[in-house]
Amino acid sequence: MATVELRGLRRTFGSVVALDHLDLDVNSGEFVALLGPSRCGNTTALRIVAGFEWPDSGEVLVDGHDVLGRPANKRNMGMVFQAYSLFPNMTAQQNVEFGLRVRKESREARAKRASELLELVGLASAMTRYPRQMSGGQQQRVALARSLAIQPSVLLLDEPLSALDAKVRVQLREEVRRIQQELGITTLYVTHDQEEALSISDRVAVMSERRVEQLGTPAQIYSGPRTAFVANFVGTMNKLEGTVVSTLDRTVRCGPLLLNIPDPSFNHAVGENVELFLRPEDVSLEMLSNGDAPAPGLIEGRVTSLTFLGPVTRVGLATDCGPLLADVSSAVALNLSADTVVAVKLDSASLRSIAT
Amino acid sequence: MAQVTIPAPSAARHRIRRAQNKAPLSNVLLLGFGAIFFLLPIYSIVQFSLQGTAGTGGLFHWYQTVFDDPVFRSSFWLSVQIALETVAASLILMVPTVFWVHLRLPGLRPVMDLVSVIPFVVPPIVLIVGLAPFLKDFSSWLFVRPEVLSLVYVVFALPFMYRALDAGLRAIDLKTLTEAAQSLGASIPRTLFRVVLPNLRAAIIGGSLLTVAIAMGEFTVASLMGFTTFAVYTYQIGVSTAYEGVALSFISFLLVWGAMLALYLLGRGGSGAAAVAIKE
Repeated sequence: MATVELRGLRRTFGSVVALDHLDLDVNSGEFVALLGPSRCGNTTALRIVAGFEWPDSGEVLVDGHDVLGRPANKRNMGMVFQAYSLFPNMTAQQNVEFGLRVRKESREARAKRASELLELVGLASAMTRYPRQMSGGQQQRVALARSLAIQPSVLLLDEPLSALDAKVRVQLREEVRRIQQELGITTLYVTHDQEEALSISDRVAVMSERRVEQLGTPAQIYSGPRTAFVANFVGTMNKLEGTVVSTLDRTVRCGPLLLNIPDPSFNHAVGENVELFLRPEDVSLEMLSNGDAPAPGLIEGRVTSLTFLGPVTRVGLATDCGPLLADVSSAVALNLSADTVVAVKLDSASLRSIAT
Repeated sequence: MAQVTIPAPSAARHRIRRAQNKAPLSNVLLLGFGAIFFLLPIYSIVQFSLQGTAGTGGLFHWYQTVFDDPVFRSSFWLSVQIALETVAASLILMVPTVFWVHLRLPGLRPVMDLVSVIPFVVPPIVLIVGLAPFLKDFSSWLFVRPEVLSLVYVVFALPFMYRALDAGLRAIDLKTLTEAAQSLGASIPRTLFRVVLPNLRAAIIGGSLLTVAIAMGEFTVASLMGFTTFAVYTYQIGVSTAYEGVALSFISFLLVWGAMLALYLLGRGGSGAAAVAIKE
């Protein structure tokens, strides 16, 4: 177990800036996901930590020691790659033993460790199989066992599940988390999949524009996005545009509604335009009888789309506050159809404001 | 849910199988024409090499004569020696070069592609006229020894060895495999020997056998430089004794077929990605 500190990492490829003064602290035994869209710099950051890229400036400290002077093969970091990386000429057991062979471990010690780790990843029966005889999920499990065999100080995972089908992804990510917790190994995990990042990490570093936009626990990131990018990138968000009418009770006018923002960090001047963010699950619907007006505090909405998502149905609405999405129980959604007029209630306790 | 299959009646099944197995007439004709084109000259060679043996004591007299000739043995072993030296020199030169270009200097690949075809477009006579003075200046000791031919043949074999290795490296994810090995603590040489080379087995064998074929069959340079290699000996025998020369030609055929069989058998045993790619 080790701490990892990234200090002011900057990396350019010609005129393209891949990382721009990235700072990140990872505690010992912590699982941190670097989440972001393509080209946000998260893979570059991971490769710098691994020793496959070198920054133009900045430091990578492991347990307080700068490791940038060491080549990749001297850093003792296990890495699992996005592409299948098992050595095709070796069996699963030989792959897992490879790092131990490099370290000149005895044959018995190697075999014992390989057996333990393949059992840990649920592949004890596949020791003699070659990579071409294994499925993608099995290959990534062996790759994980191989990276753990050397007892790395830090485990680096670069989108290890992105080539797998949806069901295997979910199974395997849970296994990755279980094994990480069992071994208590400091882990950096690069992904573009927000669900994956939120479900297995202790903390998530949302990256945008080549730096960390927000770092926090999955709950903090999901329910308290600090920037418009994080709000839009993580989960689905309704965006409403409003104008501050009172700073005393943090009131914002949005269409016909006056909304009280509960966010204590609300710090905007009267007349300032703000963006308000609200999750679809915080929007509820009430049926309206013919010709009835919505109750005070509610607005009228017309159903524009219905998307079945299993237990809930995502309802698209046209309102005076702009287009909105609402997640309602699929049983309730059976009463809805296109152009149904409903009363829309916004859960103001969940509203977040971000200055535009 | 249980799957129910209804067996086709036996006669119908046979009809279907016959129809599936039946090749179109045009294919059969094409195959027959190809067989005649390739096999007729070989048959003629074998038949001719078995003639003129009346009173000589055996059907394989000319073969016996070839094998009994000490010059055959010395020229053959000289060619084998040169071929092996050429293969060794080609591999030592090309494997690390192509590995490094693929791994670290991919921008140089078009240049390598271009350089590798130069021996194709420059005739051997031109090459040797240019190379001979250079080699003489480089080492007058080496210039008079047959080993000098290995250096020339490395150039001749360059297109084949380069393309075989290039194809082998394209068939594997070199960057990821190398980085995986490095993350596990392996140095670049260890990665090359333990991870990359085993996966290039088929490519190395293919390139090596083509190199052997070139080194065994090259005539122009060996003749101009005054060495009696297998090819030069074959030519000399062919000029002086027709039967013996044709018998020697057939022996050459057998050697080539043997090499091809070795390629097939060794490549089939390969466990690497390149072997798989070749099989597919």
